[in-house]
Amino acid sequence: MNQSAVLLEYVTRAYPGGVRAVDGVNLKIALGEWVALMGPSGSGKTTLLNLLDGLDRPTDGCVHVMGQNLLQLDVDEAATFRRENVGLIFQQFHLVSYLTAVENVMLAQYYHSMVDKQEALLALERVQLADRAHHLPSQLSGGEQQRVCIARALINDPKIILADEPTGNLDEDNADRVVKIFQRLHREGRTLVIATHDPDLGRLAQRIVCLRHGQIVEECSPDGSDAAPRATGAGASHDRDVMHVTAS
Amino acid sequence: MFFRMLIESFVRRRSRKLLAVAAVWIGLSLVIGLLALGLDVGDKLNREMRSFGANIQLQPAEAAVDVRVGGYELVAPGRTVYLDEADLPRLKQIFWRNNILAFAPRLTTQARLAGRSVPLVGTWFNHHVLLEDADPFVTGAAEVFPYWQARGAWPMNPESCLVGAALAQELDLGPGDRVELTTDQRSTSVRIVGVLTSGKDEDEAIVAPLSVVQRLAGLPGKVAEVQIAALTTPENKLAERYGRDPQSLTPAEYERWVCTPYPGSVAADIQNAVPGSSARVVRRVAETQGAVLGRIDGLMLLLGIFVLIASTLSIMGVLSSAVLERRGEVALLQAVGAHRADVLRLFLTEAVAIGLAGGVLAALTGQVLGGWLLRVIFDSASEPHGVLLILAPLLGLLIAVAASVPPVWRTVHQQAARLLRGV
Repeated sequence: MNQSAVLLEYVTRAYPGGVRAVDGVNLKIALGEWVALMGPSGSGKTTLLNLLDGLDRPTDGCVHVMGQNLLQLDVDEAATFRRENVGLIFQQFHLVSYLTAVENVMLAQYYHSMVDKQEALLALERVQLADRAHHLPSQLSGGEQQRVCIARALINDPKIILADEPTGNLDEDNADRVVKIFQRLHREGRTLVIATHDPDLGRLAQRIVCLRHGQIVEECSPDGSDAAPRATGAGASHDRDVMHVTAS
Repeated sequence: MFFRMLIESFVRRRSRKLLAVAAVWIGLSLVIGLLALGLDVGDKLNREMRSFGANIQLQPAEAAVDVRVGGYELVAPGRTVYLDEADLPRLKQIFWRNNILAFAPRLTTQARLAGRSVPLVGTWFNHHVLLEDADPFVTGAAEVFPYWQARGAWPMNPESCLVGAALAQELDLGPGDRVELTTDQRSTSVRIVGVLTSGKDEDEAIVAPLSVVQRLAGLPGKVAEVQIAALTTPENKLAERYGRDPQSLTPAEYERWVCTPYPGSVAADIQNAVPGSSARVVRRVAETQGAVLGRIDGLMLLLGIFVLIASTLSIMGVLSSAVLERRGEVALLQAVGAHRADVLRLFLTEAVAIGLAGGVLAALTGQVLGGWLLRVIFDSASEPHGVLLILAPLLGLLIAVAASVPPVWRTVHQQAARLLRGV
């Protein structure tokens, strides 16, 4: 457990009406590992990410992230945990419309510790957006907005990065740029959990976790050489379900 | 960063913010306009209701007390007591001097005219009361009795008089006629300048300047009574208690009674100022004025409450929807680490700024609106009310905060994950 970035035990997220977006999931992700969550729409990828960042709470099971049991945290404590440990990247970017690119990055600094405009500009430079720093989101392309979102996610040096369809709204060029950023982050030793439909992005991960109907139906390495197709479910034993595939 | 977010929110979303400020401004302008009207309407109505005539009557103290024991009058027969005309300027030197709108003395005697005895009434017409440290106060019968109608002109000098309409018809008199008035003491010739219709006893009398009647009656400088039109507050339970038993009031209540222009307290002030006098509230007039003013005040209060509720609801609707359309932003702030209190602080500070801006504008336009209503209804100008300049921004602030807290509170307690997905 000391070496794991994420540990999920029998995690279920059910909604009123009986829909189980996540159904008895067990998952362990090592520090520095890059994991891709893949599966069809509605398979539970986004819900799983939201359980990992503390924006949502499971109806059953335990969620440990960076050694912290998120169930023990109230809403504000979860916010504190997020700003200290997690970088969030959204498919819809979610930039504050009336703040410029650099101000959007500074927003994350503000709630983390203190604002440093030079550092925020540097973060934008790292995603090749230094020249667009003072533009509003409405003046940026989708790819540029996504890179602002990434710069914001990285500004506080998070231990784990959770990305939801980060290339879902981007054209090929912009998607390539974002992919390169993720590769660099991985080389720097960050833990990446990326929910994606994009098989190209998925192949870059060390491990692919396939979800269907809220359950993990398969885990494999991208090259297929050590593929470990397996069925998991609420009824499976803990030892079988908690699976750690080391980086290849 | 907090102020940067606040400023940018206003600068770069100015159309939304202007809409919110406009909602507060317009809604509160109605409320403030009505309040401004409400503050003035009592005073204006009170002045309008002077058409009822005098509401306080001042008489010599002895004449006011009709003391009879076993059927015998204790005042010696034939002895009549009077007030000194020279004391009347004191009416404009009392604590409630600004509430004394008009007053007119009265002295009545009998005169012979065309071989018959007719009542002769003396009073002031357009009389200039000289005051220390103030401009002369112009008053007279026309001011005290707005219902008096003179066909022709008002007497402006000691050689002129009015003739009552009934007497004029009976004796075939009219403006321009000269008549000889004779009493036991003296006689004088006066010119009729107008025919008076009062609907009361004066219709059968000659009404002349006070000095003429004093000379004919041999009572120089004397008046029998003074009719006073005063601006008063409708009597309430406190005033009624004082009327029943002055001793029942505590010192604090008595202080409040003295410091409120109830008809009784104004009358008491007058009585204390004029030696040997007794001031009596003309209940019929005072109570009618009180009843009308009380109802108007109640109506204005009710109207004010309804307008306040309606305006508050419409302001809350605009501000609430402005907050609700930013639910995604609230969720994002929480996603990047903001606590619920941080989000509340940001939105409430915006609400305070919107409320204050709308309130300050409403304080100005509301008073203009109130002034316009007053001019349209009463044809009268209004004074600015300082209290509304403070009340309007305060109301704006309260309404804006009250409108913003529930939606922000609900939003920060919703699942941020769902809001980010736009669910």
